[in-house]
Amino acid sequence: MNLFTRPMKLLTAVVLEQMSDSVVKALLEMGVMDFVHINKLEPQQMEKLSSRPSSVSRVALEDMRHRVEAMLNQGHIQLPSNDILDVKNLEKPDLDAYKATLDALGRKLLTLKEEQKESNQQLLGFEEMRRYITENKGEYLDLRVGEITHGSAEDLASKLATFGGVLEKGNKEGRYITLTLRRDVSQVSPLMDKFGWVETSDPDQQKEAVVVVSQRLEEEFHKATTKRGQIEEQVYAIVKEESPHLFAIWGNLRLNELCDQIRSYFSYTRNTTLFSGWVPADQSEAVTNAIFQSSDGQCVIEWTEATQVPREEVPVAITSPKVLAPFQRIVNNYSTPEYGSINPTIFVMLAYLSMFGLMFADVGQGLVLMLVGLLVGHDYKKNPLKSDGMLSRNLTGLLVYLGASSMVFGVLFGSYFGLSLFPALWFNFDAAVEGHAQAGAIQNVYDILGLTVKFGIIIIYTGLLLNWINLFRKKAYLKLILDKNGLIGGILFGTGLYLGFGFVKTGYKSFPSDSWIGPTLTIAIVLLFFRGFITYGLSLKEGGKKESLVSVFMESFMEWLIDLLEIFTGYLSNTLSFMRVAGLGIAHASLMITFKELADMVGGFGGVVVFIAGNLLVIVLEGLSSGIQSLRLNYYEFFSRYFTGKGVAYEPVGLKTSFSAHK
Amino acid sequence: MTHDATSLYGFINAKLRARIGLMRQSHSIEDLLKANSMVEAVSVLRDSAYTEVAQAYDRTGDLQQMELVLLHNEIEMYREVAKYLEGKPADFVSMLLGKIEEDNLKNAIRLWYSSIIRHRPMRYRSAYLFKEKILSDIDWIALINATSWKDVCKALVHSPYHVIVNQFSQQQIQETGLFVLENKLDRQWYDQLMASTNRLSSTDREVAQSIFLIDIDLKNLLMMVRFGWYHKMQSDVLGSLLLPWGKVFNSKEVHMYVNASAETRDPFTIIDRFYPGLGSMVHQVAEEKKGSVHPDELVALQNLRIEGYLHQRRQAVYHKTLASDPFTIGVSLAYFFLYKEENSMIKAILNGKYYGYDEDYIRGVLA
Repeated sequence: MNLFTRPMKLLTAVVLEQMSDSVVKALLEMGVMDFVHINKLEPQQMEKLSSRPSSVSRVALEDMRHRVEAMLNQGHIQLPSNDILDVKNLEKPDLDAYKATLDALGRKLLTLKEEQKESNQQLLGFEEMRRYITENKGEYLDLRVGEITHGSAEDLASKLATFGGVLEKGNKEGRYITLTLRRDVSQVSPLMDKFGWVETSDPDQQKEAVVVVSQRLEEEFHKATTKRGQIEEQVYAIVKEESPHLFAIWGNLRLNELCDQIRSYFSYTRNTTLFSGWVPADQSEAVTNAIFQSSDGQCVIEWTEATQVPREEVPVAITSPKVLAPFQRIVNNYSTPEYGSINPTIFVMLAYLSMFGLMFADVGQGLVLMLVGLLVGHDYKKNPLKSDGMLSRNLTGLLVYLGASSMVFGVLFGSYFGLSLFPALWFNFDAAVEGHAQAGAIQNVYDILGLTVKFGIIIIYTGLLLNWINLFRKKAYLKLILDKNGLIGGILFGTGLYLGFGFVKTGYKSFPSDSWIGPTLTIAIVLLFFRGFITYGLSLKEGGKKESLVSVFMESFMEWLIDLLEIFTGYLSNTLSFMRVAGLGIAHASLMITFKELADMVGGFGGVVVFIAGNLLVIVLEGLSSGIQSLRLNYYEFFSRYFTGKGVAYEPVGLKTSFSAHK
Repeated sequence: MTHDATSLYGFINAKLRARIGLMRQSHSIEDLLKANSMVEAVSVLRDSAYTEVAQAYDRTGDLQQMELVLLHNEIEMYREVAKYLEGKPADFVSMLLGKIEEDNLKNAIRLWYSSIIRHRPMRYRSAYLFKEKILSDIDWIALINATSWKDVCKALVHSPYHVIVNQFSQQQIQETGLFVLENKLDRQWYDQLMASTNRLSSTDREVAQSIFLIDIDLKNLLMMVRFGWYHKMQSDVLGSLLLPWGKVFNSKEVHMYVNASAETRDPFTIIDRFYPGLGSMVHQVAEEKKGSVHPDELVALQNLRIEGYLHQRRQAVYHKTLASDPFTIGVSLAYFFLYKEENSMIKAILNGKYYGYDEDYIRGVLA
């Protein structure tokens, strides 16, 4: 893991055009280059360059890939991932052949689907009659027992089938049973007459007929259900059988899409190909070798250091170990850090987990969170096709960490499903909330509030420290000293804290009156006022626009005023904002105390149920609130101190480049 | 307990606006259109809000079963919105669900008619009807198994539709068909709708009536074109079909049009009076297609053009509603419209794909 963003280098290369295909393959295989369009050349040089249209459009490639994916989806087959891509298998895409394959497969599936529809309709017919028998709605059925005196039974059976009816042999020789729906009686009766149907008046046979015909219906129903299911399976089997071919087509289409994406950055002269892109500095040698080898040495390669390019144009690559992925996502969701700045992931992890733990400290409930995270995560791994539910894939990883944090703080505060089963290693949170803590530094809710405010101060100062490091690395010394998040801001915040704590210490009666406070505040505020003038002076020195003194003064004055307001109100509100950590922690403890008391009042099995239900409710509600509040504190109170989010994400084109599985 | 408009509509509006946002972002309709076959179209639905529709296709291969799932979802959507509202707005939303019930009833009666009067066996087709309770106590099973009109009436005895169906005899139905009955059922729903809007708060009433009166105007215009001009219906029949609300119904020109002889009726003057420009658009169709299509087909094409235009007007009204006061029933009504529109498009495209029509043809029909 890098503590800072990865150092980058800009490559510009020229290769002979006939070598460009193998260079594309090599670069694709390496997958480390974030391509940029060559637009920094002199206009005369740019005129000599041209772009080349692709032989097959990327849209056509993508559309065809989506068609393949649709077929695989119909077979409930997991879509191929980038892992199947191998540059060695790259071929010129034969879209007509692919289309023919997909059309043929589509026709096969549609034929089966038509058969399935017919089975379904048969099934629906049988199901209706079957339901009327089981629900004793005989009035809707027309059951007849008798003999056929004209024509054949097969003929009658096929004619009755057009009404969805059935004909079955009776228990006695020559006797038949028919079952149709009464609503069709006006058409069925004339038909039966044509076959010379003679109805029997034997009530026993009528009774037997119900049993016989029910069995037959049951058989027919199951037959149709089985057939319908078999066709569904057949569809899956056909797609499965075709899947290796479909995977191969998919892979080649995807490779061609990627190659086309790379080529779209290329510029051409009559005989050469030019391209440029950012590469992590530690990969530059490997890239040089790859281009050199794939072009048989027919190339010119130039590297430009990131320091020679405006910082905001350099893409930002952050590497964090896979285990930190949930926290990396939290950072990514916010924005991309500036190039050369600190990688915030590890700090986010520490801050997020400690905030969550303080708000949701319980060994048992933490264990539940962790187990839910592990089990749901395992289920997703087992069923890769399963779409994300309320607990998404990303969230399950985070839940495991949150559960662990909750357990650690649970041990420190001695809370086990809200019970004090073991002595607290630090202080008993529940006892402090209830106000009967025996000893220690934390004895009541005010102490808890104080503790979280101090925790907030640590977080804010950590943010400031990270900002100072970032500014130092950027060589932004003026900002480092004279910014609201710079050293001056830190000094003013520290002085404010000293005053605040001093005020509390005297029982809210008076502020400390140390001799250094006045001069420190005055110097800091005055220095802050001069920042605008110094910035203007420096910009003039660098050839910036000259402005009138009044305008410079007004601008500096307004900036100073706003900075002062932000420092005094911003730092105060940010610090007090951490009281929410105590608030949620107290709410968590109070809810558990309430449920414990309720459980005691109910007693017995009911008490256990109340206790379990209470725990579940607290896990869901408090877990959610704590998670959201921790995120908010990170994004707002912590990030606002050092995270500019001005970076451009590093997006190399390679085999692992993500793709959209949908149109 | 009475609530102010903000607390009554705050939550549901946020929820529906989020859904409308998702609908607008979704490429499902475009992707469905581009799909090369039914199988590919179903794949588009698989990972969308319509996943149950795709599952129905996997299980049955039957397009009508997919449509039944869409209908079921639509009913649930109304119920969900009604659940988040309370009091009169909730009753109003439930009343809107009554239109689905009425349409379902019309479908059931058509099936019955086809089976008993026209002697075409119903077979499995009854399975495609929605047979659970929607709003009223209708014995759907008894209805589809009715062997006489008397049985049909009996199946509807506990529903508000009984009064209407009871006015007809089997002989009348046999001789004149279902047209008059269906129109009476429609009219009953509109009566209930307008009565229901009167029970809403003044702001909601204003919003609901502004939408539905335009809807009624459009419907009346369509009926005048379709029945008064295309089918050349008699004045008294045509007059009884028109819905007695809105600007169109209350205009002198419309009464003159209805009372004129069927041969001399010119709907375009009236259409132009309310929607300037539409009349000339329809004439343009006549000019373009003259000689190349059969006169009957030409009239049908003109009719389609009017319907398409009026649909666009309706669309514009609902979109305007979305931009107006958010704490009224308007957002819910706009959402219903958009949802139904999306549902109808999906049904139409799936049907198009099932019967093998190409993308351009389906686009042409949907336009």
